[in-house]
Amino acid sequence: MLSSITQAPVEAHSHNRWEPYVDNGGTSLAIAGADFVIIAADTRQSDGYSINTRYDPKAFELSNKTVIATTGYAADAKRLVEVMEQKAQSYFHKHERVMSTPAMAQLLSNTLYYKRFFPYYVFPILAGLDSQGKGAVFTYDPVGNMERTVYVACGSASALVQPFLDNQVGFANQRAADPNRLLDRETARKIAIDAFTGATERDIYTGDWLEIFTIDQTGVHREKRELKRD
Amino acid sequence: MNRFVEQLAANDVAELGMPGSLLAGPTAAMAGPTGHGLSFELAAGNNPAEFAQHFIDAKSEKDSLIKIAHGTTTLAFKFREGVMVATDSRATSGNVIASQTVKKVIEINPYLLGTMAGGAADCSFWERVLGMECRLHELRNKKRISVAAASKLLANLVYRYKGMGLSMGTMVAGWDEKGPGLYYVDSDGQRLANDIFSVGSGSTFAYGVLDSHYRYDMDIEEARDVARRAIYHATHRDAYSGGVVRMYLVQRDGWVPYPLEDVGDLYYQYHPEVQLTNRTESPLTVVPA
Amino acid sequence: MDAQFAISGRDFVISVTDKGVARSIVKMKHNEDKTWQLSSHTLMSVSGEAGDTANFSEYIQGNVRLYSMRNSQDLSPSELANFIRGELAAALRSRSPSQVNLLVAGYDKGKDEAALYWIDYLSAMAKVPFAAHGYCGYFLYSVMDREYTPEITLEEAKALIKKCFEVLKTRFIVDFANYTIKVVDRNGTHEIRQDEL
Repeated sequence: MLSSITQAPVEAHSHNRWEPYVDNGGTSLAIAGADFVIIAADTRQSDGYSINTRYDPKAFELSNKTVIATTGYAADAKRLVEVMEQKAQSYFHKHERVMSTPAMAQLLSNTLYYKRFFPYYVFPILAGLDSQGKGAVFTYDPVGNMERTVYVACGSASALVQPFLDNQVGFANQRAADPNRLLDRETARKIAIDAFTGATERDIYTGDWLEIFTIDQTGVHREKRELKRD
Repeated sequence: MNRFVEQLAANDVAELGMPGSLLAGPTAAMAGPTGHGLSFELAAGNNPAEFAQHFIDAKSEKDSLIKIAHGTTTLAFKFREGVMVATDSRATSGNVIASQTVKKVIEINPYLLGTMAGGAADCSFWERVLGMECRLHELRNKKRISVAAASKLLANLVYRYKGMGLSMGTMVAGWDEKGPGLYYVDSDGQRLANDIFSVGSGSTFAYGVLDSHYRYDMDIEEARDVARRAIYHATHRDAYSGGVVRMYLVQRDGWVPYPLEDVGDLYYQYHPEVQLTNRTESPLTVVPA
Repeated sequence: MDAQFAISGRDFVISVTDKGVARSIVKMKHNEDKTWQLSSHTLMSVSGEAGDTANFSEYIQGNVRLYSMRNSQDLSPSELANFIRGELAAALRSRSPSQVNLLVAGYDKGKDEAALYWIDYLSAMAKVPFAAHGYCGYFLYSVMDREYTPEITLEEAKALIKKCFEVLKTRFIVDFANYTIKVVDRNGTHEIRQDEL
């Protein structure tokens, strides 16, 4: 051994890039009403043509008034939800008050942006009631650009589901309809279910189970339904 | 290139916000005027800047995994009555229209506006930080910040991250003691003052209409018409622009927004010979002149 | 693609920069002054990477003015040029190099003579009778080599600059519509219009 060698040789892995991201698929949507909001997501987790699991929930209660649903890279989604849960908890204990949904929405935006140079590869949506008790839906890109909308679809089947919602919820380009009309709770729920039945039929990354959260003044109500498993 | 990386030595987490000293050398002098305590997590490895640029496609130049909403037409011009600011409202991600209802005019405070082109999150985040800085300026100096100073603050803020892949092309419009103010600031750290600006993928089309119809002496209605038509024609030719025309006027007492105008409706206004009917076999009818 | 050049005689320097600012294929501005007044008798013209130009120049200008205030004395053109070169060289060896090309035009009151320094973004520096940066050099160095004499008068230099404009207009693909033309001499710095050449 030569004494002049003091440092281990550094290997250059130029041919073998560090690839810390994968798209695990899955679809989520949210629809706001006058005094409620529905947020739903399937539970399939895939990697390419393989299904990792049929039940990996994507939607979580951050508090008794706010629910987050996250598609994209499942590991980042899990971490993001953990971080948001921790922040919601510490806010609750610090202030003895549950964080409002709009505040949670801005917090999520900042949380995403603080990883601007090493992003969470996720497409989150956040739903809850605003200060006037109206349904509120917030959508994000992976680095925290935020927009409040009335309805949205995210994830692998978003290009299939969003036009369906544009037609059935937003009444886009239907001259006879009032584009600002809000759906009642049962109609919104049925449209959410139909959207997922359709997405399961045409998107290989969507299926297995559907979890629907309805948020209103009384709190969060969870419903679990079956989707096709092929 | 990696100004930002320099400050973190071997750590994975960079703590920013060191006050700059004039004589402390070029790097420190480039730092912003105040500390924000902002802390961004970086990827492990030798070159986090390269990592960020490889995986994140803020400028839509490559087929990266993480696509950031982008694509835009924005414009602003000074004229006799103040500053007119107008934008479209489309966000695209790859070839998908992510949203047709984006707010690309950012209300920094009641007399300052910023526009959004490039990475949407980059614009909204840094202009939110700018809003905070402007408020701190007011509290410290008992005086509103000038448009020149506000735009310089923003330019310094993003210049510190040069080479890290930020994408921001913004116009800062407002009114201060000197009257109307209009500056262009981008993520290269470039900052320009001028009477007319347009930014985004549709800017060439907007400039065409704007330059040929703009006069400093316009009244408000004429200015609105020029701005509206410039955005409209840009949305017509640039596939990355569309949705509605969002317009703001900045005057002595601050800004006022105008009602949104759908470019679909504007088409029929600008083409009266084409009428929309309810007939299913031919919804569009050209009325003979 | 900026136009940036200068010609010095025994007791004057004429500095020329174009006024355009372009981003991608768009001209964003037609009236930008790309020169920086460092002291009453020293002018620095700057081109290069967007953002770096203003940032480096402001840093230099701030420090040069601070020196003047602290010492009640201006740095001479040669002292200034060496200071600027040093700062640019230090930045070059840091993680944040400033990519800027500079021409420092000054009048040395002590020596009673004009001075022109050429500095590129790699911190190479030369004291020269005339200078250009970028593509302009390919067209203008031959013209200046042909026409220049050390005894050149201000009027002759103005005529030479006019010739340079003609060459750029006929042969260079870029059309620089407007130029900032500034003269540094015994009396300080003053701007002249293109039609005054």
